[in-house]
Amino acid sequence: MIKTIAKPQEKKITGCGECRSTCQSACKTSCTVGNQSCERITREQKIDGQK
Amino acid sequence: MIHVFQYHDDYYVYDTGSGSLHVADERTAKYLGGEPVCLTDEELAEIAALKAEGLLDAPETDARPIKREEIKALCLHICHDCNLRCKYCFADEGAYHAAREMMSFETAKAAIDFLLEKSGKRKVLEVDFFGGEPLMNFDVVKRTVYYAKEEAAKRGKRFLFTTTTNGLLLDDETIRFLNEEMENVVLSLDGRKEVHDEVRKTVNGKGSFDAVIEKIKKFVRARGDKHYYVRGTFTAKNLDFSKDVLFLADQGFDSLSVEPVVTEIPDLEIKEEHLPVIEQEYDALCDAYIEREKEGKGFNFFHFNVDLEGGPCLEKRVSACGAGNEYFSVVPSGDIYPCHQFAGDPKWKMGNVFEGTLDPAIRGKFANSCLFTREKCKDCFAKFICSGGCSANNYHFNGDIEKPYEITCAMMKKRVECAMRVLAARKSKEI
Repeated sequence: MIKTIAKPQEKKITGCGECRSTCQSACKTSCTVGNQSCERITREQKIDGQK
Repeated sequence: MIHVFQYHDDYYVYDTGSGSLHVADERTAKYLGGEPVCLTDEELAEIAALKAEGLLDAPETDARPIKREEIKALCLHICHDCNLRCKYCFADEGAYHAAREMMSFETAKAAIDFLLEKSGKRKVLEVDFFGGEPLMNFDVVKRTVYYAKEEAAKRGKRFLFTTTTNGLLLDDETIRFLNEEMENVVLSLDGRKEVHDEVRKTVNGKGSFDAVIEKIKKFVRARGDKHYYVRGTFTAKNLDFSKDVLFLADQGFDSLSVEPVVTEIPDLEIKEEHLPVIEQEYDALCDAYIEREKEGKGFNFFHFNVDLEGGPCLEKRVSACGAGNEYFSVVPSGDIYPCHQFAGDPKWKMGNVFEGTLDPAIRGKFANSCLFTREKCKDCFAKFICSGGCSANNYHFNGDIEKPYEITCAMMKKRVECAMRVLAARKSKEI
């Protein structure tokens, strides 16, 4: 048995540059891009949710 | 590349190329991990279906970072002085190996002008007030925020501000200002009183826990739903740091980050021999984290977040943090460095905000550095999550921004696995 838990969204947005600088978040030694969410997807989901 | 890992009786399969996470039974997991297991036709068909969907054994991107001239963020060293004398401070207890000094408003203003001018079409810019202790220069922080907002508005831009503080100077006025103006606030607190007091000393050599704990609690109560992190550091003296994370959660803080120390001080430094214990601690913390979430007492631990569904695009994933290229540090003199961890090192001085220049050679080095220029990352399952590690750590420990520091790599991989366990637990409705 193998079951998919998570996969990237279909919507591919690459290189818009909206994302925050990685080291500006919780720490200044070991922040990684994987701990971030895409700002653009997050914003669009918020707008979708308000509709 | 397929990464298979096990925790207790659960098996996880992460596909690096597609960024997909799966759970599997023991037989399938072992087969995918390369062990000689004979699967049934039905089991093989499941695997084939996932491969056909591009969720298993997917090709990996070789996309290179997009070249940009725009700058998006500055770390302003608003105060090269501190009211604490933490033993592990990478910044020489706030002084950065030079005279203790404050950034003047004129320098901060020039830095804001520099950022606005170099930001191109970017609408959202970021400024982090850093130190030393930024609140020792609170008046300049305030004036800089008001100036930046006014100038940004004229250009149709806006700023996101962050402050990192040790909490000692939090009072009604600073709390109100930070809560009104800062998009994020990072508050330094290491955990249990004895752990915190061992390393975070006042200028008189006393532990600072009692002087900050109630102030930080008051700040967080007033923060509402705005972002903050209570951020601790663990050292070789508290390898049982999961207790510190849970202690902080028990104090009512629900947004936490506890980081491994970056130091070469012998009794504090994290060494290779500590890794087995540290990995066990992350697992123990992960168990408690999932359990607390089940009980409705969950909190946010920074490193246990990994957004596999709505995470950064591939371009961001291969570009790393942006230090030295789109993000810089500015020290009180106005000199510019790739990031705060390079500040004060003459080899890495890139320019000065009053001159408005950036050394093209140093910037080029950082701009060209990416996941694919870091040879050691090639075979790492976590590469598109980590993006090649911290250039500063790489440089300070291995002498080259392109050579990842193996000890942080090991911790990173363990944290990524824990984050995947959390994600799987949530998705499996276990929580």
